[in-house]
Amino acid sequence: MKYLSVVWAVARKDLLVEMRTLERLTAMGAFSVLIGVLFHFSIDTSLIRVQTIAPSLIWMATIFVGMLGLGRIYTIEDENRALSGLLQSPISLDALYFGKVLSNSILLLSIVVLILVVFAVFFNLSFPGGWLGWISLSGVILLGVLSFVSIMTLLSAVAVNNTMGESIIPVLVLPLLVPIVIHTVTATNRIFANRPFAEIEGNLRMLAAIVLIFLVAGASLFRFAIEE
Amino acid sequence: MIPRLQAEDISRSFAGTRAVDGISFDLNSGELLSIFGPNGAGKTTLLKILAGVIRPDEGRVSVDQNVVEVSERLWRSQIGIVTHQTMLYDQLSGRENLLFYAKLFDLEDPEDRIRETMKTLGILEMADRFVGSLSRGFQQRLTLARALLHDPKVLLLDEPYAGLDLYASRLLRDRINSLKDGNRTVVLVTHSFEQGLELADRVAIQARGRFVFTGLNEGFRLTEFEHLYCNTLQECGF
Repeated sequence: MKYLSVVWAVARKDLLVEMRTLERLTAMGAFSVLIGVLFHFSIDTSLIRVQTIAPSLIWMATIFVGMLGLGRIYTIEDENRALSGLLQSPISLDALYFGKVLSNSILLLSIVVLILVVFAVFFNLSFPGGWLGWISLSGVILLGVLSFVSIMTLLSAVAVNNTMGESIIPVLVLPLLVPIVIHTVTATNRIFANRPFAEIEGNLRMLAAIVLIFLVAGASLFRFAIEE
Repeated sequence: MIPRLQAEDISRSFAGTRAVDGISFDLNSGELLSIFGPNGAGKTTLLKILAGVIRPDEGRVSVDQNVVEVSERLWRSQIGIVTHQTMLYDQLSGRENLLFYAKLFDLEDPEDRIRETMKTLGILEMADRFVGSLSRGFQQRLTLARALLHDPKVLLLDEPYAGLDLYASRLLRDRINSLKDGNRTVVLVTHSFEQGLELADRVAIQARGRFVFTGLNEGFRLTEFEHLYCNTLQECGF
């Protein structure tokens, strides 16, 4: 219980600071709308069926917006060297990692909802029918976001003590994103095409395995990334 | 008598440069050690090692004979650290900051403890103001409150007076002086001889990662210590 209360304390603190500054949410939200507007004017919907390209566009927007916001996960800890205070406290560093993953997942999930709304408005995108379609879509989004955030939380920590700073993040993260992109886009495509759940199940299983691997790797390696 | 804080031949290098080079000392309960030294002497690195924030390459540090590597979490709960950086979140109020740290240290009755600590340090009326809106003096007293919240056995102070005006500096010094209650061991790193000597039971001069002078503070006069400091550094080739 104590472990979970530390995880929640870290996440709550991060969300409280973000709610008061709206620093990352504003940038991520504005960028999401901008992407929607750009695609709205660049794609001729009389030639291309939006339903078929929407999944890739949604996940591309999510990844770019995510990299913009999540690259700055530790900015608030850098101010006044708050990170030293965290490292000096008697908490387990993986609790700190999971707290960061939780707060940033909530943040990115709220942005994904905004991206879906933007695409629904600009492209008149029709969402999957039936509760199973919605559950599948929610599952893919949740697992996709969790896997992306878990790896970004670790790599942003690497950037904290690196002379290259945030610019090193895309170099490190892009190769690791390949399996996430393959399974999230494939699953989302099939969900929008109203294909049976059996065709999506495999992607969901793979995404769950990726989340598990990234979370375990993140929690184990976090100490080496964050300590001076 | 078992020393409260013990450092045994600790060393730490960064990119081939020895920031801390074979430092050893014992401090008893209630003692205050002031460490002086030029910039780049490795004083902050030494404090970070004592705080358990970074690990020494060689040697070991212990509080009441608990070695940092063996019982890291117990160790951290016995240490409080204050630097010229507040380690607080500007966007949270003083109370919210302390509540967050109380959760990390798993303290019982955090609200009462926070009220009591803030009252002792004279910052209770500022409890609900955002840290970013407080003056530097109040921020630093809040930093001290954060460091004392879990009632640590050892308090590490790294340039706590930096950026403070004369009055705020005096107030903080009084607060630190009141901490010398016989139960707490304090290590103070400062460039100010006046502030360091006023509070110290023992003094050390650190240069190039080593303690080049250690001794009891037997009523050193300011000018006398200045001569000692300059001569010692000259002998070390500065």
